[in-house]
Amino acid sequence: MKSKLYFLSTVLAIFLINLVKDSIDPYYYTILIYIGINIILASSLNLINGFTGQFSLGHAGFMAIGGYLSISMSTYFAPFFANLFGAGVFGENMTFLTVMILGGLAAAAIGLLVGVPSLRLKGDYLAIVTLGFSEIIRVLIQGMDFIGASQGFRGVYQYSNGVKSLQMLDNTQDSFIFYGVPKYTNFFWTFFIAAFIVYFIYNLINSTYGKGFLAVKDDEVAAESMGINTTKFKVIAFVSGAFFAGVAGALYGHFNLYLNPEDFNFLKSVEIVAIVILGGMGSIPGVIIAAVILTILPELLRGISEYRMIVYALLLIIMMLTRPQGIFGTKFKFKRKKKVESA
Amino acid sequence: MSLLKINNVTMKFGGLTSIDALNAEVNDNELVGLIGPNGAGKTTVFNVITSVYKPTLGEVLFQDKSLKNYKTNQIAHLGICRTFQNIRLFKSLSVKDNVRVSFGVRLKAGFFSSVMQLNKFSKEEKEIDNRIDELLELFNLHDVKDEEAISLPYGDQRKVEIVRALATDPKLLLLDEPAAGMNPSEKSDLMKLIRDVKDKFRISILLIEHDMKVVMGICERIYVLEYGKKIAEGLPSEIQNNEKVIEAYLGDTKTHA
Ligand SMILES: Nc1ncnc2c1ncn2[C@@H]1O[C@H](COP(=O)(O)OP(=O)(O)O)[C@@H](O)[C@H]1O
Ligand SMILES: [Mg+2]
Repeated sequence: MKSKLYFLSTVLAIFLINLVKDSIDPYYYTILIYIGINIILASSLNLINGFTGQFSLGHAGFMAIGGYLSISMSTYFAPFFANLFGAGVFGENMTFLTVMILGGLAAAAIGLLVGVPSLRLKGDYLAIVTLGFSEIIRVLIQGMDFIGASQGFRGVYQYSNGVKSLQMLDNTQDSFIFYGVPKYTNFFWTFFIAAFIVYFIYNLINSTYGKGFLAVKDDEVAAESMGINTTKFKVIAFVSGAFFAGVAGALYGHFNLYLNPEDFNFLKSVEIVAIVILGGMGSIPGVIIAAVILTILPELLRGISEYRMIVYALLLIIMMLTRPQGIFGTKFKFKRKKKVESA
Repeated sequence: MSLLKINNVTMKFGGLTSIDALNAEVNDNELVGLIGPNGAGKTTVFNVITSVYKPTLGEVLFQDKSLKNYKTNQIAHLGICRTFQNIRLFKSLSVKDNVRVSFGVRLKAGFFSSVMQLNKFSKEEKEIDNRIDELLELFNLHDVKDEEAISLPYGDQRKVEIVRALATDPKLLLLDEPAAGMNPSEKSDLMKLIRDVKDKFRISILLIEHDMKVVMGICERIYVLEYGKKIAEGLPSEIQNNEKVIEAYLGDTKTHA
């Protein structure tokens, strides 16, 4: 009950800050939005990797699905949504909410397809499968002309004769409208969703139901013996994580107004994993702080940008050596699998 | 009436036969002992009953239903729960939360009502809190309920294992050497407590114990295993004077003590 109050007052604060967002310097505003998106990405991965003890390396893939699906809908179907919800502020936000949820659901559905077979197997298949999966997604997008393939996607020209094209056509007399990716993402949506996922995970892992996730992480044989369907819990964590990654992709796309398959390469997944490890597997505040640090740090290192990745890697190595449990975590140890024989 | 029936179960690991054509049963509201020297196959019997292993031959019936196609978690839902000889408490959870996990078996709240904290959810959580308190009180663990379970002394960890299993509301409780590592007076206290639990919750208990003396006082019937074979069964008084059993245990003292 107390958490509901915290959540509602946080949402109110976010709403109020959003009213003065135009007075924030655009550079800092951009960093703020990226911090929010990284909180969503890392918290959702934390549910899988930190709380449930699975190791997913494919978060960028789910982000790509949500991002591309939502921006292609809000451009290709812009007239449809304008008709459905009206053209004003209300209509825009309704459109955004709709495509964001659809992006999340698509990522969750694919997550189910990828997760069920790999999570049923005993052993660490998930890391390999998710790594392969997100690379496949990236390569598939590179081959999809209607969303710009490897050129990236920023919008679509819609001609009065019904032709849709990503480039301006010079052999037609028909009139056209360019539907660029609309800038729907703002401070409110980003931090509302960030606050929501924190609230979501907090409630979950403090409930009787949610203790099941921690039980799965700690000891699968014991969890099964107490009636926990471990496969089901892993799939639930994985699919909800995928959903929020998809939503984060939608936020990213409608802020950047341009997506390129390279935005979602292997390094992006590693970046999200790094936030979770730095913050401490299974620590909610730790992961939030790590998301802030690891979003700002690359900006501070811009001057020596060719060494950015090195500094970044060094920081993680030092962290692993000195505080393997993360900033806040107290219990994270490298998982030692107990053998089934000792059951 | 027979609650659990082990029908001609054989369990082989490669060339090793851990259980050899075992027949045994546990009746309603009965406390049965399963004893035998180290490596006799006792723990393996629990692993077969709870489907951690599928038997090579034979089957286990619970309330006349074959457990062949049940997974480990479904067996807990049917009403069989166990403790582990080599304590397997959830290491990131407090004592209370270790027990809380078991309430998942009967939980009405699902994923969404837990996340959104709907009203019926809060009421149920409060009921569960109370039930946890009662159970911990019974085992004298109430004062340490907020501590990390694995930080407790061994004896208390074994008790938390029992409470955690009891919290699934089983009809049959399987206890694997619950008194291991305790001193004699702690052992006899625990045995009394186990008997009280059986009466209070009207459940059946199958109790593994390595030390024959410990179970003599409380078990109604006893099975004795050696090298996977049942070498004796009967009342404690019969077992105590059984030559094969005495021989098995003497052999055991020679090799293990
Ligand atoms: N998963 C397994 N793989 C191979 N051998 C096993 C396995 N589980 C148990 N055993 C063997 O079965 C025999 C009986 O073991 P166990 O049931 O643990 O004995 P007890 O509990 O009576 O001491 C031992 O020889 C043990 O090594
Ligand atoms: Mg044993």
